Amino acid sequence: GRGGMKGGQKVIIEPHRHEGVYIARGKEDALVTKNLTPGKQVYGEKLIKVDGSDGEKVEYRVWNPFRSKLAAGVLGGIANMHMHPGYKVLYLGAASGTTVSHVSDIVGQEGAVYAVEFSHRSGRDLINMAKSRTNVVPVIEDARHPLKYRMLVGMVDTIFADVAQPDQSRIVALNAQYFLKNGGHFVISVKASCVDSTVAPEAVFARERNKLSESGLKPKEQLTLEPYERDHAILVGEYRPLAEK
Amino acid sequence: MGSSNKQLFILFEAASGYALFEIVESEHVALQTSEVQSAMSDLSRFSKIVKMKAFNAFTSAENALQNVNDISDGIVSEDLKNFLEFNLPKVKPGKTPKFELGVIDHKIALAIQEAVGVPCKCNDAVNELIRGIRLHFDRLVRGLEGGAMEKAQLGLAHSYSRARVKFNVNKSDNMII
Repeated sequence: GRGGMKGGQKVIIEPHRHEGVYIARGKEDALVTKNLTPGKQVYGEKLIKVDGSDGEKVEYRVWNPFRSKLAAGVLGGIANMHMHPGYKVLYLGAASGTTVSHVSDIVGQEGAVYAVEFSHRSGRDLINMAKSRTNVVPVIEDARHPLKYRMLVGMVDTIFADVAQPDQSRIVALNAQYFLKNGGHFVISVKASCVDSTVAPEAVFARERNKLSESGLKPKEQLTLEPYERDHAILVGEYRPLAEK
Repeated sequence: MGSSNKQLFILFEAASGYALFEIVESEHVALQTSEVQSAMSDLSRFSKIVKMKAFNAFTSAENALQNVNDISDGIVSEDLKNFLEFNLPKVKPGKTPKFELGVIDHKIALAIQEAVGVPCKCNDAVNELIRGIRLHFDRLVRGLEGGAMEKAQLGLAHSYSRARVKFNVNKSDNMII
């Protein structure tokens, strides 16, 4: 239909503080990423075409914070999501690949997203999306058993996890042990009720931070995902921090 | 490395093929210290510790898929058996081998000991070395620079994942909860 971003409405694209992320300023502002596969939508998201500096059209895709916890984190003011152009990211809990596709936009053709998803139903969508986005490596396998996919995954700069499992911290630690560079980073979305619904969310987050620390994953930032998600936090930190220079 | 002073080899299973590395200077390496961690990130220092001994590329996409499925299940394929027998020192019957093979996975270690008769080792030290190999792999093996390694991972991941989804004939979810 004719959304707010169409119909002759003037839209101006501004770079966001995070490299690879942009803000489309129009009738309403929207968070967007530059479409790696122009003309193609992944999940029905809105496409915005603007004139680039050289007169060519540049296409952006709207990144909805209600559908992506990472987008909610960006709008919530996350200090650093550790996904820059050229980065390699191991993405645990890729689901159908909606957020993965935006990470794929951000890291660009020089980067890579190893997208792990165990559910075969979501996995089908993920594989289809990866057919046209060649920086997405689809891995249909259980993130609890990283050795099963050791031949498919290289060393990465960042692990992102959104697996909504009670043992999520352990799953991230297991994967970091094999695939995360020293001094690499982790970004984890924690849903308090998925870990323990009997205690207050803040107590759950504190416990997860401790578990991560014990595995060499040093938490550095915690961010609530309100108002987009309830009782969710994003934990960001560094793995085996490199000695200070 | 560790208590034994046996020669140490490392098996690395990659999307493009099997690789065997030899560890030199192992006595001087005290692992997990920040010094070794920085050596790991520095290719010129790391390549003084770890030397490539052999690399066998998979012969086709089907061949690679067969091998990734076997490795994933902890099975020693005919290709892996041949690769190890051809490239490791011979184990003489009745004698204790003077070397060990470091592998990342206990399951495949047991299978290799059984099928090839090579003593295997799995520990933190081996895992550290394999982290370093994974980090530098495309520069330790000739012909994998310039994105060839990622291309192999991408192709193999697609065929591996496609097969996983396809074999689930009733199309229902495998719930993980």
